[in-house]
Amino acid sequence: MKYLVVNHVRRFTKMVYKKGEEMVFGRSKFPVSQRWNIQLGAGYVVPEVKVAPVEGSETSEERMIAECRNIAQSACERAVAIGLPAFMLEQEHVSQQTNNPEWAAETTKAQVEVLEKYYDEYGIRVSLRQTPADIRIEERGPGLRGSDYDNNIEETMEACAANGASDLCIESMGGKALSDYGISRGDPRAILFGIGVLGSIDMEYMWNRIVNICKKYDCRPGGDTDCAQANTAMFMAGGLLDKDVSHTMAALARGMGAARSLVAVECGALGPLKDCGYENPIIKAISGVPIAMEGKNAVCAHSDLMGNLTCAVTDVWSNESVYHRQEMGGTTPEVWLQATGFESALMNTALQTGQEEVLRDLYTLTDKYRDPQALILAYDNAHRIGEAIVKYGKDPYLRAREAALEVGKIINEAVDANKLYLTRFERESLDSSLKTIENLPMDSDQFIDECIRAYSRKVPEFNPKNYELEV
Amino acid sequence: MNNIEELESKMDQDFVAVRYNVELEGPAITPEKDPDVQAILPKEEPYRSIAMGVLHGDIDEALNSVKEGLEDGLSPMDVINDGLMKGMDAVNALYTKGFFFLPDLMLSGDAMMEGLKESEKVLGHKSETKGTVVSFVAEGDPHDIGKNLVVMFLRAGGFEAIDLGRDVPNEEVIDAVKEYKPIFMTGTALMTTTMTAFPKIVEEMQENGLEVPAIGCGGGSVRRDFVESFPMSVYGVEAYHTPKLADSIIKDKKTWKEIRKEYSEIVGEFVPEYD
Repeated sequence: MKYLVVNHVRRFTKMVYKKGEEMVFGRSKFPVSQRWNIQLGAGYVVPEVKVAPVEGSETSEERMIAECRNIAQSACERAVAIGLPAFMLEQEHVSQQTNNPEWAAETTKAQVEVLEKYYDEYGIRVSLRQTPADIRIEERGPGLRGSDYDNNIEETMEACAANGASDLCIESMGGKALSDYGISRGDPRAILFGIGVLGSIDMEYMWNRIVNICKKYDCRPGGDTDCAQANTAMFMAGGLLDKDVSHTMAALARGMGAARSLVAVECGALGPLKDCGYENPIIKAISGVPIAMEGKNAVCAHSDLMGNLTCAVTDVWSNESVYHRQEMGGTTPEVWLQATGFESALMNTALQTGQEEVLRDLYTLTDKYRDPQALILAYDNAHRIGEAIVKYGKDPYLRAREAALEVGKIINEAVDANKLYLTRFERESLDSSLKTIENLPMDSDQFIDECIRAYSRKVPEFNPKNYELEV
Repeated sequence: MNNIEELESKMDQDFVAVRYNVELEGPAITPEKDPDVQAILPKEEPYRSIAMGVLHGDIDEALNSVKEGLEDGLSPMDVINDGLMKGMDAVNALYTKGFFFLPDLMLSGDAMMEGLKESEKVLGHKSETKGTVVSFVAEGDPHDIGKNLVVMFLRAGGFEAIDLGRDVPNEEVIDAVKEYKPIFMTGTALMTTTMTAFPKIVEEMQENGLEVPAIGCGGGSVRRDFVESFPMSVYGVEAYHTPKLADSIIKDKKTWKEIRKEYSEIVGEFVPEYD
């Protein structure tokens, strides 16, 4: 094999969790410790809040610093006001922050000062997650690797780590041109190529660098999410009555996304894996690292069909993102931290009283049959998809393919048992996709060659050189 | 039986989650048997085959029929208007009724565009369209799937869509306005701090004495109150609304102020953001 076997990372070929029911919220096999006395996945769930800088704050460095400081200050005030024992603040960068590493250094420093003050004063356990934006443009030379955009991402990562971030994350975009093409045209081969192959290759490039940066500082490599791909499918699939992308197709993309996002852990990411990665329960089942998730308390950012189910095995509970503005109950950092904070308190009470498995199962059952996308992320099914992935663990293409096939099996079993009902669109889309995927070659090189031939002209942004693939 | 199965066996699913989509969706149809589609599809060959190729989203079927027609001496404009566009009209009818889904529309759009290119080769120049629209993603923003949908909907609706790509500097947008004199523009953004490009572009256009009947702004973080805080702009809610907005400018000479007021009527459906 000429392409994918040049593996510089250790691949997962065995499950860390032997059974799905071993997993529960707040506990992971490999908890993470960070500065400010916080542990993630160590027996308690940590609420997270994330707020997008307001429009106009990008006009100067001073305004951006003030904006980020205000967000941190509001969150800390509310955390103390309602008695939260711990919380995580995440700053997802806007493009201006990542494009100006010196801004990132200063905004991180400003948030660190606020969090540290509250840690010193109240002993509240805090964590500062910094998530630079993936601002690379594939079709603009020199592409994904070594462009000014790419170099700015690396410098910004380092600036955040050097100035006190607890951990670093990213939502990398490799393969997005292909997966966008496939998602909007119902082409499972293009989606598999975009997510399973190109996404995995690009993540390895990105994550080896992030892990090396983190090693130099008291900063942990967090995780990546398939936001650019599987979440695009989920977002476009929308609600039950939307007619853009079938929900079965979105479920297949999610399965492939798990095989892809696992690469961060294989490169050395420790978790908690970033919220927004709805595929995280699958990766937790495989690798045992803690995860962040979002659902019913992320309605400020988008709608999904699994608002409770995503709580079931999470370690950090997030609001995804929200405009920075005033609500009747306070500013949005205050309001949404309160929402995630009280939900985490419920989970922590269950953990303290030995009721965690009951609560986990209730969370799961409220949504399991609401939609195929929810079904496959129920912890028992997430574990099954994990097993499919590690069966072909050494080969990023084959494991993504196998994950998709297992997703299909899980959905079909639930339909046969009269537990889940599909529309004609979902049924046809699943049947034709599975047929296509089953007929794909079992050899990576052959698949890659076929895809390069098939899509180079159709998807003009795609350049195999960005992934070190031979043409 | 483990615990979750025991719990599950006690549940009546109807009290927890109802898949309304399954209850609503009717029986499977063959696209060409739909009465609206029958009314649109041409009866004569080879126009019918060309339109059917587009309707089926089959590039080869459409392209072969187009090539045969052109070799037989048909006028390329007839091939476009009586074949390709009729097929696309049929697709739009099914999409509007909820029988077709986005992938059907995108594949049909691809088939239509291939047929169009082939016809334009014989024509020797670009075919006439209803009008030119310029589409871009705001500077600093790499997220372009929304823009790509907008471009496809515009082309399927008979407009020439100039696709400036993503992360487009404001000056490039201004240059495109000067060059193409569009009847409409669309700008999209996902981040709160990249959508601020829209008012800057409007300001620069005003400084340059340029005017576009309307600029449709949309995308993940974009809100109506933000878009309506500066002139020339209209908040676009769904990608498929775009050709209807463009039509209203061409046919009914609507201004951006009128589109803001009459958005729901123009797109022909209830739009919560505007009601």
